[in-house]
Amino acid sequence: MLAALILVLAVGGLLAWQAERYGANAPRWIALMTLIVDGALLIPYFAGGFPEAGVWLDDIRLHWIPRFGISFHLGLDGVSLLLVVLTIFLGLMAVAASWTEIRERVGFFHFNLLWTLAGVLGVFLALDLFLFFVFWEIMIVPMYFLIALWGHENRAYAAIKFFLFTQVSGLLMLLAMVVLVIIHQRDAGVYTFDYFDLLQTSLELNTAWWLMLGFFIAFTVKLPGVPFHTWLPDAHTQAPTGGSVILAGVMLKTGAYGLLRFVIPLFPETVADFSPIAMGLGVAGILYGGMLAFAQSDMKRLVAYSSVSHMGFVLVGLFAWNALALQGVVITLLAHGISSAALFVLAGAVQERIHTRDMNRMGGLWTDVPRMAAIGLFFSVAALGMPGLGNFIGEFLVLLGAYRVDAAMTAAAALGLIIAPVYSLILIQRAFHGETREIHRIRDFGARELALMGFLIVATVWIGMYPQSMLDVSDTWLKNSLRGWGEGVAQPNDSQPPGERLADRGEP
Amino acid sequence: MITTTDLLALLPLIVLSAVAVIVMLAIAVHRNHRLAFLLTVAGILISLITVPLVSDLVPRLITPLVLVDRYALVFTVMAYAAGLVAAVLCWEYFRVREGHQEEVYLLILTALLGAGVLAAAHHFASFFLGLEILSVSLFALIAYPLREIRALEAGIKYLVLSGVASAFLLFGMALVYAETGTMEFAVLGGRPGTFPSVIGTILILVAVGFKLSLVPFHLWTADVYQGAPAPITALLATVSKGSVFILLLRYGLESGVFRVPVVSVLLALIAVVSMLVGNFLALRQNNVKRILAYSSIGHMGYLLVAPVAANVVGGNLAAEALLVYLAAYFAMTLAAFGVVTVMSPADREAEELDDYTGLFWTRPWLATVFSVALLSLAGIPLTAGFIGKFYLFAAGSQGALWMLLGALIIGSGLGLYYYIRIVFQMAQAPAALQARPEARPVGAHLVLAILLLLIFGLGVYPAPFIDLLHPEINVPKQSAAQQ
Amino acid sequence: MNADLVQASNLWPFIAYIAAIMVVIAAMLVIPRFLARPSRGRATGEPFESGVVPVGDIHVRLTIRFYPVAIFFVIFDLEAVFILAWAVAFREAGWIGYIEMLVFIGILLAALVYLWRIGALDWRTERQKLQDARLQI
Repeated sequence: MLAALILVLAVGGLLAWQAERYGANAPRWIALMTLIVDGALLIPYFAGGFPEAGVWLDDIRLHWIPRFGISFHLGLDGVSLLLVVLTIFLGLMAVAASWTEIRERVGFFHFNLLWTLAGVLGVFLALDLFLFFVFWEIMIVPMYFLIALWGHENRAYAAIKFFLFTQVSGLLMLLAMVVLVIIHQRDAGVYTFDYFDLLQTSLELNTAWWLMLGFFIAFTVKLPGVPFHTWLPDAHTQAPTGGSVILAGVMLKTGAYGLLRFVIPLFPETVADFSPIAMGLGVAGILYGGMLAFAQSDMKRLVAYSSVSHMGFVLVGLFAWNALALQGVVITLLAHGISSAALFVLAGAVQERIHTRDMNRMGGLWTDVPRMAAIGLFFSVAALGMPGLGNFIGEFLVLLGAYRVDAAMTAAAALGLIIAPVYSLILIQRAFHGETREIHRIRDFGARELALMGFLIVATVWIGMYPQSMLDVSDTWLKNSLRGWGEGVAQPNDSQPPGERLADRGEP
Repeated sequence: MITTTDLLALLPLIVLSAVAVIVMLAIAVHRNHRLAFLLTVAGILISLITVPLVSDLVPRLITPLVLVDRYALVFTVMAYAAGLVAAVLCWEYFRVREGHQEEVYLLILTALLGAGVLAAAHHFASFFLGLEILSVSLFALIAYPLREIRALEAGIKYLVLSGVASAFLLFGMALVYAETGTMEFAVLGGRPGTFPSVIGTILILVAVGFKLSLVPFHLWTADVYQGAPAPITALLATVSKGSVFILLLRYGLESGVFRVPVVSVLLALIAVVSMLVGNFLALRQNNVKRILAYSSIGHMGYLLVAPVAANVVGGNLAAEALLVYLAAYFAMTLAAFGVVTVMSPADREAEELDDYTGLFWTRPWLATVFSVALLSLAGIPLTAGFIGKFYLFAAGSQGALWMLLGALIIGSGLGLYYYIRIVFQMAQAPAALQARPEARPVGAHLVLAILLLLIFGLGVYPAPFIDLLHPEINVPKQSAAQQ
Repeated sequence: MNADLVQASNLWPFIAYIAAIMVVIAAMLVIPRFLARPSRGRATGEPFESGVVPVGDIHVRLTIRFYPVAIFFVIFDLEAVFILAWAVAFREAGWIGYIEMLVFIGILLAALVYLWRIGALDWRTERQKLQDARLQI
């Protein structure tokens, strides 16, 4: 079942590629159908309800390279289920958003899109470190093609920067993985890349520090955390709309997922020491990203920097590592995925119509495209953290959770909530309000785009109004990750304040 | 005394020599390009078939000179297969060019013979013989298009520098022999390393470094790669370097040379410098063959991780890592040069980056093969190159060679840049849609398809190949002594 | 340890010899710099042949045909050395040696046939061959 999730996308991608000969619409429909089928595969997991005990909803394990104890091991738990749903949902949005934008080599575009998604799903499902790494790298290559082939004016530079950053940091992670496995092999006598086995590796503090750093850098590059974020504005800006949606909505989440699935459980003691630094990076990301977003005149770049800022909250929440903060992280991941995807679709739509992303050349668009502008306003407000919409819940919970760990840090992070309205509203202000600087005769959103945006709006409102439905899904995972991991393996968790339990879970 | 079993164990080499003689006579009797080609292909195939027959008899020391074991046989198969690919590529390449083309196959056969001898060499004499058979064949092959000024230049350059390297090699061997009184690798291991013999070893390593084009002995590489005809470059890049590497590991392990501190430090240093310099020089190139040349310097540097690690991790893992990486490297290098060969029109070679602009849209099949080969060279997962790199990571981190691994990561990062640059070039919209190439060389495309399958096969499901190598590689005699 | 010392002491002449070579070479390179008068005359670079200014190209170009023939001679002559060595140890080598030698000579013969057929043993130059062919017609 889990393998089918990935396989469907991979096969669908090949089909879409080949279908190009039957007209430009064939690949689009095939991609759409593939994603719908994939989504349908997930229904049983929801239908079955979520058991209180036992984290793993599904599990598959096949031998792959026995020489090194590498297996094809996929597993699904609450948090990965949520992210998988997000991936497929945004995949649909990406296909819909590129329906008219992509006119050349349509087949190959959808092939790359679907394969990127397949890689991302693999990342969310893999429970074998080697397999994880394979998927981690696999998703980058088609993404590179998406940017390099269908990107905008500066695509070569952006694509290669994206590729180099992620690949080189990935190699660091591979090295860390291999060393971890070898240390485990020295203790236990067998090679294994299996997640559960490696969880029990006992490490010296010094070694653990270096290994953790290897993982941390790889994931922080993807997240992106502040010193490693420079690829992101370029990649996001230059990518085609579909690519930006996937990048911002889904791919950034793989970094966060890696941190919460691997870094923190594998190196709990080290993480406890490291968390002030990581949270500091997160806070720096929030403030620095927000300020840079404010300074942009390029619409997509603004949204890209705002992603840096929002991901800072994720970093803070993750390393606070308590129930509230983690719930906040989960919600933020989902909400940010949707709102940033929507903003990129919007920016893409504007660019498709007036052929510029420069906000100095916009202004007064509201009169021309009222629907577009209203939707833009909605998502800007969502992104700035209006109560009742998804992002607010997430960031609020993160701050609440982080406050117990480090009050000063949290106070600084909360400043992000002030910066966010500034840059979000400046986007609306400059693009849609004010005087008309150039006359653009443009279409408003059509039925397809309205439907697309409608879905995204519904999702955002849902998360904002009823986050408990999401939290229920990830609940078991959360309890387990805080108590100890996997099959009754107790693991000390220093960063967690004593006495903290899930009692105070829920809406604020 | 040589017994029948000994001769049987040598069958892969004997058959190949016989084929070489037959091809030579065939050329003498009836000069025909097709005939020579078919004979060669058939001959290599027969030699390949003999390998499984032999595999039950190994390991077997035949005279002090030659040790046929699993390690040697696995490489022999790889080298012969690479020779086969090179022969097919030569057929497509030289068919459309003028001049007498039959001797190419003769020389390929002798080059393979040299590689086979090197892989099984167990003695300085067979080391030198194998190396010279290989090198002399390569001189002629590189300069084969006599009227091409660059090929001629490349040939002369390789000849002169190779001669110098051979002189170093002989002097080194003489020094070692003078000190220890033996030329057998295994016996050398028992003798204490004195000052002159260490000097001799270093001289030998200089020669080996030249053959492997390791920095600082790499200066010939780019010119020779560029000047030689593309299929010959493929042969040079794979068979020649691979066999020398195989020999280096065996020599180093059995004679205990890697345990000499100076030598292991030098090797590590050379590895780091090769990775960095090779990849760095590749960045600025605009000629595909030169890019591949410099990248091969980097790859040889990566490969050196295996011998350096052999000290700590033992011969088994090192040999396994080496063979896996070589198999991957063979497949991807041959595929890359195969594409260059097929792309080349009759009057020149498609070696400029511009020749590849828009290849995805004009010749998608070739572009696919080429990009898979390049991505594999870059070490992207699901391709053979990744498994190879993974092995090096495993060997290196088990040997705690952090500096080498750091250089490997940096080198890979640099490497990505120029590999992706070619892929990007191929993905660009073509300047003008040229007329589609009329000739469709079936053989070359078949070979490329097989190579593509190999790259993916090794990358996606390497377990069978690893099983083939893993338990019984027999280099561990000496490594057991170290532990 | 002792053996090492002995060997190290044996090395001294060797090292001294190398050092002497280095000194001599250095001397030959350096001393003329001080002794020789720098002369930058008009004819400094010209070849000196008993006071007569040379006329014509001094690079005599021999036809390439000499070289292959010379090389073939060396090759085949060298093979005789191997045969001689085998003949000395004829009885010790036994039948296997005999067969090996047969193979060896067989390969040599094949090579000879090959050389003969590709015309490598033909003394004439390409131009002469063309002339002869024309004469025959």
